[in-house]
Amino acid sequence: MKRGHQDTLHGGGCWYAVAPETERGKRKTTMGASEEGGDVDELLAALGYKVRSSDMADVAHKLEQLEMAMVSSATTNDDALLSHLASDTVHYNPSDLSTWVDSILSELNAPPPPLPTPPPPPSADAYDLKPLPAIPAPAAPLVLGTDPQSEVAPSPRDRKRMKVCSSPPSSSTTTDAATSAAAALPVVVVDSQEAGIRLVHALLACAEAVQQDNLKAADALVKQISVLATSQGGAMRKVAGYFAEALARRIYRPQPRGGVGCCSFDSVAFDDMLHMHFYESCPFLKFAHFTANQAILEAFAGCRRVHVVDFGMRQGMQWPALLQALALRPGGPPSFRLTGIGPPQPDNSDALQEVGWKLAQLAESIRVDFRYRGFVAASLADLEPYMLLDQDADGGGGGKDEEPEAVAVNSVFELHRLLARPGALEKVLGTVRAVRPRIVTVVEQEANHNGGTFQERFTEALHYYSTIFDSLEGGAAAVGADDVGPDQALSEVYLGRQICNVVACEGAERTERHETLAQWRGRMDRAGFDPVPIGSNAFKQASMLLALFAGGDGYRVEEKDGCLTLGWHTRPLIATSAWRVAAPAEDPLSASAAR
Amino acid sequence: MLTREEGEEEQEEEEEAKGRRRAFSINDNVDLLAEILGRLDGRSLAVAGCVCRLWSAVGRRDSVWEAVCHRHVAGGGSSAAGGGCSTRSVVAALGGYRRLYRLCIGPALDRLAGSAGGRGSTTTTAAAAAAHHLSLSLSLSLFSIDCYERLGGRQQRPASLLFLCKPVDVS
Repeated sequence: MKRGHQDTLHGGGCWYAVAPETERGKRKTTMGASEEGGDVDELLAALGYKVRSSDMADVAHKLEQLEMAMVSSATTNDDALLSHLASDTVHYNPSDLSTWVDSILSELNAPPPPLPTPPPPPSADAYDLKPLPAIPAPAAPLVLGTDPQSEVAPSPRDRKRMKVCSSPPSSSTTTDAATSAAAALPVVVVDSQEAGIRLVHALLACAEAVQQDNLKAADALVKQISVLATSQGGAMRKVAGYFAEALARRIYRPQPRGGVGCCSFDSVAFDDMLHMHFYESCPFLKFAHFTANQAILEAFAGCRRVHVVDFGMRQGMQWPALLQALALRPGGPPSFRLTGIGPPQPDNSDALQEVGWKLAQLAESIRVDFRYRGFVAASLADLEPYMLLDQDADGGGGGKDEEPEAVAVNSVFELHRLLARPGALEKVLGTVRAVRPRIVTVVEQEANHNGGTFQERFTEALHYYSTIFDSLEGGAAAVGADDVGPDQALSEVYLGRQICNVVACEGAERTERHETLAQWRGRMDRAGFDPVPIGSNAFKQASMLLALFAGGDGYRVEEKDGCLTLGWHTRPLIATSAWRVAAPAEDPLSASAAR
Repeated sequence: MLTREEGEEEQEEEEEAKGRRRAFSINDNVDLLAEILGRLDGRSLAVAGCVCRLWSAVGRRDSVWEAVCHRHVAGGGSSAAGGGCSTRSVVAALGGYRRLYRLCIGPALDRLAGSAGGRGSTTTTAAAAAAHHLSLSLSLSLFSIDCYERLGGRQQRPASLLFLCKPVDVS
């Protein structure tokens, strides 16, 4: 009997068994699947289903739930539910398995008692975009009380990974969804899984409302999000919390006045402290440092005088390893000069000099000839080439009898800030070119948070930061709660500030303008740089480093056209690339003498 | 009289035999002891240091730990004499091979073995293989970062190696 019911529906049970059912009912061709970004699972696509490879585990999981729900309701002889599902439910776009199964799950969890059904919301046609805010309408409208009365069963599958179920290509048709969601707020929080799905949809709907300046709806949705978030656990709750907060900031303070940024309670020291904890608790920064160092080391092979310019000095954690590697390289260490650039310190303490001093101590102990210079600059665009060039006392512009310096420029998560002001990046890249570096290492986030519309940015950021938070959870779970200390929490605060900046700020204040590797490639290319492939040594070192991280199973190092990316499972999160000046007819070593 | 002489003779013979057996004591030849101890793995070497004062002293020699490190880590043993010397001086400057093992290599090997074991199924041989892939250069990099952090002195406890293990009081 159970099977019989299942046969009348799509899906349920083992999902490969779904194949025969595709003949009945709607079926969309999947040739257009490529619009989803090309990562649709091919086997399922051949059967007529569009499921993104990254969603596979999720979809399978939900289908399992669906089966269990149907089985359990069948065993309790709750025929009303199943027959409702079988006959009354209208199925839209079942080939998009992910959203379809979401909708069925939400229907199951909100069983319809015999009530006059309100008129179906007009947006039901655009089902595949924003289904859930409309779904609760046929269900019993429960008033959203002050506490969610529902039994929030903390399901053992608490650590549900939050996925954006379908990439909404356009949102023009779902205006009504937002308003209807605002008008009818029946939130039936039955179990955390289902609440999670609603949470995601609420976040997306809120972003859309904000984009359309529908602040009333957005406001209502933000409250809904906060409530839903409490029913979740782990990474999802935290991410939802940060995004909700950022959305709230955006709604209530639309135009920051007097240059007060959304996250500007920072002192630089606080920021540095967060940065350190982020460094300690997860491998992203370590990966960045190790891969960049390896590229620099290889570029410096054979040079006796080297100069490194670091665009974001902070605590200088990248350089001890490079110093040690230079000290041990065959042929002995070169004479090493470091120029560190940092933001102005409000309390007049000279952090840059302290860092330089520590590095000098280390260099002295391992007998590397070391010189240091720190530059305070509010923005990298304030730099001029003459500041970076060799200003030796004995040379005056680089002695001709000495070997000229080999220069490396290193930027870890710094270049994207320049995109906030037009022309700044071009100026900085021009300065870099003027220094004639042997190598420029660039590490940036692999995400497009600088897209045209707010909603695109929001969706991208949601996906990106949930993946990062997932990876943090994975690491913490493996290590055990006590050992981690405040690192994970502070790393989350650090990321939360980024989220706040991406979502709530605009214009010159929105400094977290991440762009993808492909976009950076284009920019570097236009600025006159050629890519330098990062060798396999770096890849091996990075892989070994990740193997050392507890819970590091999820991390993946990949090589993409000579650049290395670090990702969590299938999603690349940061990318390291190396560049040199494209100078076809010039000898790169005739460097600074001419200037 | 005769019996006593015989007894003595027997005793002498026995003693001589014992002497022959006892002619070589490992504790007499410290360099040999060092050579042997250098072939142990880290944990066993640390345990061996608890046997007696001599073993403890020998077990603390950096040269012994140097042998241990190179044995357990790829890329270290093949260095030429010149390379070896400079490595030695750098490692000494950063804190020594014993500290290197205790802070970096030991926890890293444990972590690799643990994770390989945790994944269970396929490979215990791969665990050994994975352990050998831990390169000296990576360990030295991590070690140098830790050493750098400790230079700060005043405020923070060095934490860059926390991802490997619980905080270790290395004093």
